[in-house]
Amino acid sequence: MLPLSLLNAAQNKPMLVELKNGETFNGHLVNCDNFMNITLREVYQTSAEGDRFWKLKECYIRGSTIKYLRVPDTLLDAVKEEQNRAREAGRSARGSHVSGTGARGRGAPPRGTPVVQSREVYI
Amino acid sequence: MAGLQPYVDHRVLLILQDGRAIVGVMAGFDQKSNVVLSDTKERVYSMEEGVEEIPLGLYLVKGDQIVLIGELDEAADKAVDLSTIRAEPLPPIRY
Repeated sequence: MLPLSLLNAAQNKPMLVELKNGETFNGHLVNCDNFMNITLREVYQTSAEGDRFWKLKECYIRGSTIKYLRVPDTLLDAVKEEQNRAREAGRSARGSHVSGTGARGRGAPPRGTPVVQSREVYI
Repeated sequence: MAGLQPYVDHRVLLILQDGRAIVGVMAGFDQKSNVVLSDTKERVYSMEEGVEEIPLGLYLVKGDQIVLIGELDEAADKAVDLSTIRAEPLPPIRY
């Protein structure tokens, strides 16, 4: 499972983000991108020493400053199930195509296949 | 690619640049070595008391923070009583 698919599935879920400087941010994920840039809402920010706190309505965190994210345990099963569903859907869609046409692939026949033109014999 | 694939679904030990030691089951990873760990626990070492294991749950660690990933021999690991282990914690990386 890709870390970014987990992060995408964590939208609107609570999470804890620790930055490389030790500051932590507790909030709900609003949005994220492939750089792991994220926006959180209803955030509690804690200083690296753990002695000072701030409450922020919303904040944007650059992905490169993040050390790690802690997300709800239940998310793992949710993502795995979602991936299984997607795989199944893909398989059944492809399957129906194959059985519908009876032909696989396209283009020229494989090399070495004799190209037989009409060999019918008329009597 | 000789990469992290063999570790997937195995319990691994992660050492981070800040000196933290984290064990968890590797659920996934990507090209930047970002890693997803489930059933994660941090192991806090000290000289005063035994190793403390702090449960952390589901974790996503950024690849650029990771110093080391190693597979944990679960049998050997279970045979160790962590409460008897005294060790200096690892210092953070210095540049």
